[in-house]
Amino acid sequence: MNMIDGNTLALIGAAIAALAGIGSAMGVGIAGQAASAVLAEDPKKFGRTLILQALPGTQGIYGLIISFLIMQKIGLLGGAMLDLTIAQGSYFLIAGIPIGLVGIWSGIAQGKAAAAALQLTSKRPDQMVKGIIYTAMVETYAIFALLVSVLIWLRVAV
Amino acid sequence: MSIVKMQRIAVVGLDQEKEFIMSQLMDFGAVELVDQKAKLTEEDWGSMVTLDESYGKDADLDAKILKAETSLRFLEKYDSAKGPLFKTRRRVDSEQLSQINVQKEETETTIEEILRLEDTLRETKEKINKLSQDEIFLEPWKNYNLPLELQKTSKALFCTGAVPISWDMSVLMKETEEIGGVVMKVISTDRDLNYIAFVSLISKEEQVMDVLKKKGFSTISFKGFKGTVGENLARISEEKSALETEVKAIEEKAANLAHLRHCIEEYSDIITIEADKEKIKTKLLKTKKSFYLEGWIPTRLIPKAKELLEGMSCCYGFEEPKEEDEVPVLLDNKDFFVPFESITEMYSLPAYRGFDPTSIYALFYAVFFGMMLSDAGYGIIMALGCFVVLRKFNLEGGTYKMIKLFFYCGISTIIWGALFGGWFGDFVQVFARTILGKEVTIAPLWFNPLDDPMKLLIFSLALGIIHLFIGMGIKAYTQIKDGHWFDALCDVGFWYFTIIGLISWLGGGMISDALPTIGKWLAIIGAAGLLLTGGRHNKGFGKITGGLGNIYNVTGYMSDILSYARLLALGLATGVIAQVVNTMGSLFGGGIFGLIALLVIFVFGHTLNIAINALGAFIHASRLQYVEFFGKFYEDGGEPFNPFRKKTKYIRIDQEEEEK
Repeated sequence: MNMIDGNTLALIGAAIAALAGIGSAMGVGIAGQAASAVLAEDPKKFGRTLILQALPGTQGIYGLIISFLIMQKIGLLGGAMLDLTIAQGSYFLIAGIPIGLVGIWSGIAQGKAAAAALQLTSKRPDQMVKGIIYTAMVETYAIFALLVSVLIWLRVAV
Repeated sequence: MSIVKMQRIAVVGLDQEKEFIMSQLMDFGAVELVDQKAKLTEEDWGSMVTLDESYGKDADLDAKILKAETSLRFLEKYDSAKGPLFKTRRRVDSEQLSQINVQKEETETTIEEILRLEDTLRETKEKINKLSQDEIFLEPWKNYNLPLELQKTSKALFCTGAVPISWDMSVLMKETEEIGGVVMKVISTDRDLNYIAFVSLISKEEQVMDVLKKKGFSTISFKGFKGTVGENLARISEEKSALETEVKAIEEKAANLAHLRHCIEEYSDIITIEADKEKIKTKLLKTKKSFYLEGWIPTRLIPKAKELLEGMSCCYGFEEPKEEDEVPVLLDNKDFFVPFESITEMYSLPAYRGFDPTSIYALFYAVFFGMMLSDAGYGIIMALGCFVVLRKFNLEGGTYKMIKLFFYCGISTIIWGALFGGWFGDFVQVFARTILGKEVTIAPLWFNPLDDPMKLLIFSLALGIIHLFIGMGIKAYTQIKDGHWFDALCDVGFWYFTIIGLISWLGGGMISDALPTIGKWLAIIGAAGLLLTGGRHNKGFGKITGGLGNIYNVTGYMSDILSYARLLALGLATGVIAQVVNTMGSLFGGGIFGLIALLVIFVFGHTLNIAINALGAFIHASRLQYVEFFGKFYEDGGEPFNPFRKKTKYIRIDQEEEEK
């Protein structure tokens, strides 16, 4: 009996993609701490700080997208699962890796950038948008990883 | 599409006309006065003039503004009417304005009254606080029935205090009993302390204290209290409820005064104008009987300014700015492009002699935004929302520009959404399938990016190359305008050759067999040009390394171009999340329950998706301008034009309409 079949590999891929959420959770956490510090001084800034705190949250969403796309293509969501070959399963596994891994570290890094931007916002509220842009620069690489994951996923024929 | 040309204006007038001329200039509202302190150190000026001052009058006015603003903040808390979503300034014509001026003193009394109200409220609340503290203090002593002022009789001593609960009370009792002449009782116990009271003979006091001190006893004295604890607690709660009614009465009074907010706001604005008029004087110079001012004025307004100054007894002159002058920057764009100025301003204004690219990138901005949000349903919500806000509120300045910008972006999103076939993702299809049991297809007007992502990737990169080339073109344009056509060829022309050459060399084969060869030679010419000219400003050995370094920049251009891949990725992200939402909604099947679940998930999921992706599209559309586009040519560092005018927060005086 073969323990590892194509479907297992594909699900591992979906699981790895979802790991991007680690990065987002940590990033949003780091930003959240900084946001609370800002809010302690000026409670009116809640809306502004919330936007900055949410920025590192996108990696988790990108991971979710890939997980979902994999699950959808192998029929996990719509009743019967397909019987995948080992090769097909491996492709799905590989598709999950870029966003899963890049998501973790870019999420953390983006959280740190967001925390700094929050400090900027507390001192110079008018400069908030620039802080957002700085923070979003980090996201570029998560977007690229998402793109790579999507392109691999698209090429898997089932 | 440009930066407004400015000229220097200088006016010399008689002191007695100063007030009149200054208020005329304020109404005119298009002259930025420049600080003239530097002239005091110049030889020919310094001997003649001194700095004008406002003699502390502005500080008085500032104090008045502060009072008005404090009272406004106080009233705001108790105003039952809900504030509007966007604060807009009320229109006020000159008749109403004079009315406000007449009522000034009346308003000042109102403000004083409100401030007194605030003071009383604060004091009352402090009193309540004090009483609450007393209450907490007395709470453990509820069962202590002796009058609190009773401390000593001729023979006996009454003492109260607390011992940490870590000490065994029975041991303590026993030890004190052994001394004799002491009666001790535990009144109450809480988490940390045993509260005890004892009566002892005065002669035994020291002995008892010795025992107690060893057990960490600390005396608690009831200084200032009279009667038993019970009496005191009753008094406190009575006083507290009286004070609380008082607080309610004050708050009600404040709520009743809330309708006066408008009056106070208008007053605050009028005083602000007066204060500004005083403060601006520090930028003037004066002699005994005359004054001198200097500033910047938009060239196109000079005829009007002449008309204005002609009627007054003063001398004036205009002058083109000199090379070293720091001229303030005012952007001037046609209607459609005005909202995009806010993106330029957010980055940093262009230098006066730089280039305002707003109108050039505006269309790109809208297109990028639309491609990244790329859902017609979301676009409709955005455009409609902004449209309603623009209709309902009389917005001005930055807020107006932003909302208008999002309106355009919403329209662009509708277009791209329709092209890619996204209407709340695949909601219509899912709804028809799960609820109605029918198959519906909405064909995209162009193609579905999920079916052919490579096509959209190439399209995105092509769009990026055009965007970048325009940015580089602007650089070449400014260089040629300054007469540096050779620099334009080296810095921009060769790059055009190299990039176009490389692309047709590598990818041209798909279109025509001749393209790769042409591309190859074009790229070689371009690269050779870059290699030879890259170090032209360096000396000696640097001429060679400069050229090599220049060639190496090709990686920079490649990464710039690839950066536009985000147009595809973020577009896909919106579409896929929308699909996820719809799929989750459909998991509950058909029927009435399924319908409700689908709609609830629809509202929540798509709201979240719009929020996240609209923010993302805004940020990344801005980033593509700032980093990729501006990076090629933009010279920033302009100071915004800040004319001397009536700067009001709450009211909008009608005559200031003409000039922004």
